[in-house]
Amino acid sequence: MRSTQEQDDEFRSSYPNYNVLDKWFSPDWDDQTRKVVRHRLEKVPPIRFFSETEAQTLAAVAERIMPQPDRTESGRIPIVPWIDEKLYEDQRDGYRYEKLPPQRQAWQKGLAAINETAGILFKGRRFVDLDAESQDAVLKRIQKGDPPGEIWKQLPSQSFFEHMLLKNVVKTYYMHPIAWNEIGYNGPSSPRGHVRIWEDGLDPWEAQEEARRR
Amino acid sequence: MTQQDQIMAGWSLSAPGIHGGRVPMRDWSREEVDVCVVGAGASGGVVGAKLAEAGFSVVILDAGPHWDPMSDFISDEHASTKLFWTDERITGGNDPVELGSNNSGRGVGGSTVHYSMVALRAHPHHFRRRTLEGSIEDADHRDWPLAFEDLEPYYEEVEEELQIAGPTFYPWGKPRRRRYPQREHELNASANVLVRGCAKLGIPVAPSPIATLSAPHEDRPPCVYRGFCNFGCTTNAKSSILVTYIPRAIRAGAEIRGNAMVARITHDSHGRATGVLHFRKGSDELFQQRAKSVIVAGYAIESPRLLLNSAGSLFPEGLANSSGRVGKYFMVQSSEQVYAKFTERINQYKAPPPGGAITEHFNRTMPGVGFVGGYTIEVIGPHPVDFVAKMATGRGLWGEGLRREMLDYNCFSGLGMVGAVMSNVNNEVKLHETEQDQYGLPVSHVIFSYHDNDKRLIKHAREKMTEILQAAGGEDVWSDHRMAHLFGTCRMGLDPDDSVVNVDCRAHDVPNLFICDGSVFPNSTGVNPSLTIQALAARTADRICDMARRGEL
Repeated sequence: MRSTQEQDDEFRSSYPNYNVLDKWFSPDWDDQTRKVVRHRLEKVPPIRFFSETEAQTLAAVAERIMPQPDRTESGRIPIVPWIDEKLYEDQRDGYRYEKLPPQRQAWQKGLAAINETAGILFKGRRFVDLDAESQDAVLKRIQKGDPPGEIWKQLPSQSFFEHMLLKNVVKTYYMHPIAWNEIGYNGPSSPRGHVRIWEDGLDPWEAQEEARRR
Repeated sequence: MTQQDQIMAGWSLSAPGIHGGRVPMRDWSREEVDVCVVGAGASGGVVGAKLAEAGFSVVILDAGPHWDPMSDFISDEHASTKLFWTDERITGGNDPVELGSNNSGRGVGGSTVHYSMVALRAHPHHFRRRTLEGSIEDADHRDWPLAFEDLEPYYEEVEEELQIAGPTFYPWGKPRRRRYPQREHELNASANVLVRGCAKLGIPVAPSPIATLSAPHEDRPPCVYRGFCNFGCTTNAKSSILVTYIPRAIRAGAEIRGNAMVARITHDSHGRATGVLHFRKGSDELFQQRAKSVIVAGYAIESPRLLLNSAGSLFPEGLANSSGRVGKYFMVQSSEQVYAKFTERINQYKAPPPGGAITEHFNRTMPGVGFVGGYTIEVIGPHPVDFVAKMATGRGLWGEGLRREMLDYNCFSGLGMVGAVMSNVNNEVKLHETEQDQYGLPVSHVIFSYHDNDKRLIKHAREKMTEILQAAGGEDVWSDHRMAHLFGTCRMGLDPDDSVVNVDCRAHDVPNLFICDGSVFPNSTGVNPSLTIQALAARTADRICDMARRGEL
């Protein structure tokens, strides 16, 4: 087990003192953007689409795809609630690969299939009960396209992994202000714009680096 | 006109003004109009505005809302998905096209409210590719039935209206007869990377022509380099159709009807179009809009879908489809992206995503490379949500490695290509056999596979972009597959048995039906298509005026 210090180092941001929300009342934030981001921060939706097992499985998968071991439960960026809301409201993406079923079915089948694969590879255990290394082994087989299991015969695993699991988890993570702080993203910018757009050029309200990582 | 006069004249509706508030607008819903335009985007806005100004009664319908830029556009990636066409489309073939965010718009202004504004003219040779390059095996390589010179005055007209900002001298294509209306934009860090890399390798590079203001124009302010162009411009600096041609159309007496999804085009027993049936938001009822002429401007998926959904006893295979070419010869442009990490901070979220620099050095058929056609190399500037999806899928990266790599988001710089692809009868848009959308209409089934020529062109472009990034000092180069821009499904041609519309975008089969958008392109050129689509729409409006004058409509 690695120490907390090691985990902190692994994800150490170059911008430890930057908080995009400090600009809330600045000319970078207009009313409609404040409304959207406030909702994102304060109104994390309840789970209404996934079953308890599905939600737990997805939470464990999301923790492997975008690990947050450095954060407490209340300080984590929520992932599952927003994917659940997308499916509860059936917000589509504008396209569906012909080999994939409609998104609700795909997610239900895919999460069941992850548990099936975990069981086959690891003596009947559920995905949530595996250690991180074993969980990664399951996900890698799915990403590679050769996971054992019956359900995957109706659902192309590579496509499900890349286009549904991976994209949704990572996009949900980086729509959150905590993620913007970590990477030094300027965040909303309306109506105020920028002047110093060249290399290493920084306007006064952009994220200042404390220590360059590279 | 006083408000009373406007009410007397039927100005009983209002539309969002581009600077807030509402502006009065005509209501044509109970009358037969001269022209009904389906789609208020790059082409529908242009052709509708010009015809309204020429004195025609015009209604322009769009499936999405009439945006108010000052309050509807949000400075946030995730919240901007409402700008895209997110109804289901099924995508297949060997190289399925990712649709939604990248290739569609929904709402007045269409995709021009979120496009990247690169405003290029096609080159004279793009219109004569079959003649110059010969036939290509397993492809249907085509000339256009019109020449660059037919469009040249319309490129100039549209560039003037959009106030394209570009350099005094632009080194590619036919030399310009007059300079760009506005001065070029400053280069951002990613554009400097392109310039630096090209300079090292001896590749010519130039400031890119972009459809956002570099100086005030009428009541619109210049661009302040917010960098949120792909999520809707809140300052009106961006010359989208929503803030240029749409206000012109309204002033000239057109009605812009948002939230109006057209289900089918109606016709009479003589085979002439009589109007459209459409759903309005909040109602299951089908409304009829009667019209003397119908112009379809829904882009290369919705336009053929509407024609196919408008089949009837006179037109069993779909309206205007006696040739069987509606939906066929679907094309995209290859738009592979390549990224590298730099020691400097790039901060790719700043300034318009095209950065301000471009090279069309490879936009020609080159000897000895093993493929025909060419491509442009442009700068890109994705924000984190878009960027992480590219990095995760492009590199197959996730877990601790992905989160660590994203900590360097501000140090990545990227280039993207816009490449010509071959026309091929097996690539098509058809109606899906079982799936329906929210209106109960069959959804589109889009089939696409790259030609070998396309694959060789993409490989060449990926290598060149990699060399440029490395010459500029970039490390850890990676790429992401991508396609952009849609064409070909109602192609233009001289032979009614082999094409859907003639050179005036008029349907061969239905004399008062026009199809005017990217779907009429017989080949995909090697430049971003918006300016060509707009120029073609401007020309079509003039041609319709000519035909009306001669009593030929």
